[in-house]
Amino acid sequence: MNDNVIKVENLVKYFDGRCVLNGINLTVPRGCIYGLLGRNGAGKTTIIRILLGTEPATRGRTFLLDTESTNLSPAIRGRIGCVAEGHNLIQSYKVGRLIKLCKDLSLQWNDESFDHLIETFRLPMDRRVKDLSMGMRAQLNLSLAMAIDPELLILDDPTLGLDTVARRQFLELAIEVIQKQDRTILFCSHILSDVERIADRIGILAAGKLVVDCALEQLKERVKKLRVIFPESPPENLYLTEIINQQIQGREMTVTVANWNLQKQAILETFKPSSCTEVPMSMEDIFIECTKPEQEVVTSS
Amino acid sequence: MLTLIRREIRDNIVYFIFAVVFSAILIALLTAATYNFDWGEPAVYVGLSIPILIILVLGFSAMGVTQMYMDRNRRISAFLSALPVTRSRILTARIVAGLLAILTVLVPLAIAAIVLGRLIAPPIPIFAGYIADILTTVFLMVLACYCLGLLTGWTANKITPTFGALGLNLVLVSLVFVKGFGPDINFLLLLVIVACLVRTWHKFMSTSL
Repeated sequence: MNDNVIKVENLVKYFDGRCVLNGINLTVPRGCIYGLLGRNGAGKTTIIRILLGTEPATRGRTFLLDTESTNLSPAIRGRIGCVAEGHNLIQSYKVGRLIKLCKDLSLQWNDESFDHLIETFRLPMDRRVKDLSMGMRAQLNLSLAMAIDPELLILDDPTLGLDTVARRQFLELAIEVIQKQDRTILFCSHILSDVERIADRIGILAAGKLVVDCALEQLKERVKKLRVIFPESPPENLYLTEIINQQIQGREMTVTVANWNLQKQAILETFKPSSCTEVPMSMEDIFIECTKPEQEVVTSS
Repeated sequence: MLTLIRREIRDNIVYFIFAVVFSAILIALLTAATYNFDWGEPAVYVGLSIPILIILVLGFSAMGVTQMYMDRNRRISAFLSALPVTRSRILTARIVAGLLAILTVLVPLAIAAIVLGRLIAPPIPIFAGYIADILTTVFLMVLACYCLGLLTGWTANKITPTFGALGLNLVLVSLVFVKGFGPDINFLLLLVIVACLVRTWHKFMSTSL
């Protein structure tokens, strides 16, 4: 049995001749909380839809729990919990009816855990889903996904449209639920701080490519932004691979490099710079640098 | 599967109520026609049967359209397919619900026709055969129109399901009136049903939800 709960192999997706995903390769091992980041329209939801079999891939293959996404049986689907973007529930149903439908269709249902969540969220059973606030819909969606005790939980921008307080409450409850049981989670978002709070591995999608795929703590070590001052004008080519961004202003060059190591440092020193200082980068800075066009790929070794 | 069928019935309860009411009206008309049947004036009953047939056909075609259109635009299958359910089960449950609605009209009508036939009609074997022919053709025609509804309903715009289904239904009804009841038209209707179901199945299974 493969230990990768999610596997994406050379995934390509075109929409009306426009390439949205361009050769994505991704694996998520069992027990990992994987945060998939990307700007709006980067292709996060498309990856999830292809993984769940609701969207056909143009090329490549995707697997969930060792089964190809196009052949997911009800037994496999019963082990996957999903909170879809925009909380795509059946809007015309009353909350109680929706819960009953999900319960009747599920293969296993943890009444204790579900009742606890419903009590915590204080969801009204007699109101229609369309009359619920976005926050309540998110809570209902999470409760339904968690009630089946899923082995794999897929959260597609679950905090989209929530205000700051509701987002914080949602994430705290999600963390509480995640910590209780050891499960694999794929968490997609364009809000960096949300992913940073819960993920232990991170992927960044930009221009249809997975430009970052490494452990969260490795990311800051691997991406370096350097301010290099040369005695004369800076060289046109630094002969460094994986340069994410490079700016020249007079004798000063600011360069962001992926997968920084001693070898790259030695190459830089051959140009005999007057000074070389590291510019501290927050996660947000790294995210912005990585999502600029023409970035290099950052992967864990 | 039963849960999915129950869901379809409950979501389309209006059509089931329509089926029950329509069945009752048809039985009442049939009974009245049988007791007051005047061999000299069959035109009244033929004239009455045309709007009834058109309402029946349009009603079930609308049911097919509603089932698919609502699903597509409210993204019901997208939600259901995140649960332990396959697309084939969702569509099968939908078709079974449609069939049940059609049978809700036609089974009581068939029983009433047989009972009335035995009570009133002259003991001519051809009469029973004629009733069977009419019922079979009506069943296949209604089913064909329902399947056309399913096929045209899977779209995001409103014009295709409305006018597409309407136009195709009128062609089918006209064909039945031209050809009359019997094996020839039954064969044609069966072809339409199979073609519509295959195309609907293919569309539903392969498109994005």
